[in-house]
Amino acid sequence: METEVLLKKLEGVQTIDSVTNILKTSKDKAIYYLFRLRKEGYVKTKRLSNNRRVYNISFENKLKGTSYFEIINKYSPVKIATPITYKIYGKTPSLEETLVYAIKTGSLRTILASLALFKKITDWSELYQLSKKNRIERQVGALYDLAKKIMRVRRMTDRFKNNALPKKNHNFEYIISGLMSGDFKDIEETWKIYLPFNKNDLSDYT
Amino acid sequence: MITIDEQQKLFLNIARVLNKTITAYAVGGTAMMFLGIKDSTLDIDLVFENEKDKDIFKEAIKSLGYREINAIKVYGARKNQPEMLVLNDERFDLFVVNVIDFVFSGNMQKRAESIHQFGENFILKIADPHDIILMKCATDRLKDKDDARKIINLGKIKWELLVEEAKKQIELGKEKTAFELGYFLEELKNKMKVKIPQEILDELFGIVKKQAEEKQKK
Repeated sequence: METEVLLKKLEGVQTIDSVTNILKTSKDKAIYYLFRLRKEGYVKTKRLSNNRRVYNISFENKLKGTSYFEIINKYSPVKIATPITYKIYGKTPSLEETLVYAIKTGSLRTILASLALFKKITDWSELYQLSKKNRIERQVGALYDLAKKIMRVRRMTDRFKNNALPKKNHNFEYIISGLMSGDFKDIEETWKIYLPFNKNDLSDYT
Repeated sequence: MITIDEQQKLFLNIARVLNKTITAYAVGGTAMMFLGIKDSTLDIDLVFENEKDKDIFKEAIKSLGYREINAIKVYGARKNQPEMLVLNDERFDLFVVNVIDFVFSGNMQKRAESIHQFGENFILKIADPHDIILMKCATDRLKDKDDARKIINLGKIKWELLVEEAKKQIELGKEKTAFELGYFLEELKNKMKVKIPQEILDELFGIVKKQAEEKQKK
């Protein structure tokens, strides 16, 4: 069977059983086809807790590179399917860059998943520079305070906080247009930022 | 010919010599490689949003040894030709917004959702398959029809989107678009036996007919 045909049939997440079923073939032959696809760079393998192997088969795997979504999924209990392709080659994006990217997507689930990054973020100076460049310093501050309520996070530096807190002339802004919280009014008031989450939305973190 | 791995290494090298972040749109064989439709390409077709970005990119690839050649050899006397640079058998075709008789429109830019970033400074956005067909129609070089056939044969084409984009191109001043696209698709249908709905061809030539009637009135 040609690689292109195999790839078309098997694209997605598979186990050895599903490969056997899809190709209507024996287990030995299925292992051989997976071996061929892996050799050409199309397969990423993960082991589940019961030691079973799960194969992520995709053309994108051949391109290598990393994506912001892979980084978020690595650290977050909230897993996200990749809504768009954004692959990065030749460098590994920092967690600070990843957080800023996540906020800028304006996607509720991506932002929710990215809250877990506050556990690992240490370079507050880089985060401030990136946030300032993208004009989301207050959004980062508000999301940090929210993350602090539901998990143990690294301490935000006073310098970040002092620089990012709203001035008198600042108006309220949304993280996601039109969405505001009913449960975290105190954070919203502090940062003059409407948070798009209520307590129930954060259940994956508790 | 350049393969996927070679192309990635090349883009990384280019990113290293760029001194500013440059965004380009891949519209030809390169785009097809990123979408998994092709293994290698002869020419790397890129569209830039402005002259300045194109010039910076051109200087970067020149510093890697690429030299300019005359586009007339490939494109004849057609309008909006690219700047062409070659090294061995690899070639860059660099366009700025206009691609021969087509414009890489705002809608096309929005549809280019797949993004690949090389190093810090080179961001490559991959054109949507529908727009690759339109760009293949615009350049219409030796292997462009074969590439368009490959994309159409994947069976994911929304034909109405092509017609809508043709109308948009006409609004943007590219009057020949409906004719060029209709002719291109008709040739694919007749010479290469590609399945193209007759009603789409009728719709495109209907637009051409209307354009002709309006011109006659004037």
